[in-house]
Amino acid sequence: MKTAKKFCAARSGQLLIVAAFAIAVLIASTSIYVCELITQRQNVEDGFSVELVLAVKTGLRNAAVSALANIAHGGQKTVLTENLDALADTYMRLYPQQICQIRYTLLNDDGYEDGIKLSWNDYGGLGVSSTYIPYILKVLAPTFNLTVNDAINITTTLKVHGFYTIGENETLRTVNLTCTVFNEKKPAQAKYIAIHYEDDSGVWIPVNNPSITDWGNGTYSLRFTVAVASDFVHVSVHVIDARNIFVAANVTCSQAG
Amino acid sequence: MKEWNSGQIRIIEAFLAIFIIFSAVAISANLPAKSQNPANNNLASIGMQALLQLDSDGSLSAYIAAGNRSGLREALNLLLPAGVAFNLTVYDAQMRRIVMETVSNGDFSSQEVTLVKYVCTSRSPEFRCYVIYLYLAVAK
Repeated sequence: MKTAKKFCAARSGQLLIVAAFAIAVLIASTSIYVCELITQRQNVEDGFSVELVLAVKTGLRNAAVSALANIAHGGQKTVLTENLDALADTYMRLYPQQICQIRYTLLNDDGYEDGIKLSWNDYGGLGVSSTYIPYILKVLAPTFNLTVNDAINITTTLKVHGFYTIGENETLRTVNLTCTVFNEKKPAQAKYIAIHYEDDSGVWIPVNNPSITDWGNGTYSLRFTVAVASDFVHVSVHVIDARNIFVAANVTCSQAG
Repeated sequence: MKEWNSGQIRIIEAFLAIFIIFSAVAISANLPAKSQNPANNNLASIGMQALLQLDSDGSLSAYIAAGNRSGLREALNLLLPAGVAFNLTVYDAQMRRIVMETVSNGDFSSQEVTLVKYVCTSRSPEFRCYVIYLYLAVAK
C-alpha cells in the first residue's frame, strides 16, 4: 500500500501527461468527426437545394415559353396557368413530403392581362408578345428553408421601320423595311417572316417572295414592290422567333425624302 | 533543495499537460474541410448539371418528344465526364413510362449507383411535362 502511494506520488507528473494525451486525443477525434459530418451534410443539402432551384426556374421558364407560344398563336389565356400548375403538380408528386413549393401571381398591370401582353396593333412599328410572372419558390430541407422571390420574363419584341420609293411606273412602290427581333431585349433570330400590305380597298394582301436579307444580329432588311395609289403604304410584318413565339408589328411607310 | 526541485518539475509537467490539451483544441479547430470524393459524392450534381444544361435551351424535351434516343445519348456522353455510365428513363407527369426505350451508354456494372430525378418541360406550344430518372455510376 505504501509502495503504491509512493509510486503515485513519484509518478503523478507522468500520469498527468498521459491523461492530458488521452484528453487531447478525445478532443481531436470528436472534432474531426463532427467537422466531417457537418461538411458532408451541408455539401449534399446545399448542392441539392441550389440545383433544385435552378431546375424549377428552368422548368417555369420553359412552361412560360410554351404558354406564350400557344397564346400568341390564338390559344386560350388559361394555358399559362394550366402549364404552371402542371409543373407544380409534377414537383408535388415527385416530392410528396412538400420539399418544393411554387406560388405564382399573374400580372394585371402595365398592359398585362392575366400575365400576358400581346401588343400588335400599334402603327408605330412596335410589336410585343410577352409574359411576366412573379413567383415565390420555397425549398424545405431538413436543416434549413430556402425562399426564392423571382419573376419569369419572356418577351419577344419586333421593331419595324421603313419607307417606299417610286420608280418609273408611278403606281408601283418599292418598300424597304428594317426589322429587328429581340428576346428579352437581346437580338434574336426569326424562324419565319411574313409581310402584308393594305391595298387601296383596305384589304390586307400577303406579299409574295419579298427579298429578305438576314444580317445575323436579329436585324432583317425586307424589300418588295406593291401597286397602291395612296401616299402612305400600311405594312404589317409577322414574325415567329426561334422559340415559336408569334409577334406582329404594323408600320406606315411614307415616300423617302 | 530536492523538494524544491521536484516542485519545479511538477509545475513544468502541469504546463506540459496544459500545452498538450490546448494544442489539441487549436489543431482540431483549424481542421480543413475534407475534400469530397468527386467520383461518388458529386455524381448526382454532375448529372443534374448535365440535364440542366440540356434543358436550358429546350433541347432535352425536343429529344424526348422526337424519340431521338441516339441524339440524347450523344448529348449526355458529351456533357458527362468520361468513365461515367448512365441509364436514363423517361416518365410522363402521371409517372407512366414513355414508350421511348431506356437511354444508356452500355457499361453499368458498378455497385454504387446514384439517382437523379429531374422534371423537364417542353417549350413547344403543346405543353408536355416529363419526369426523368437518370441513374449514374462510375464505370469500373
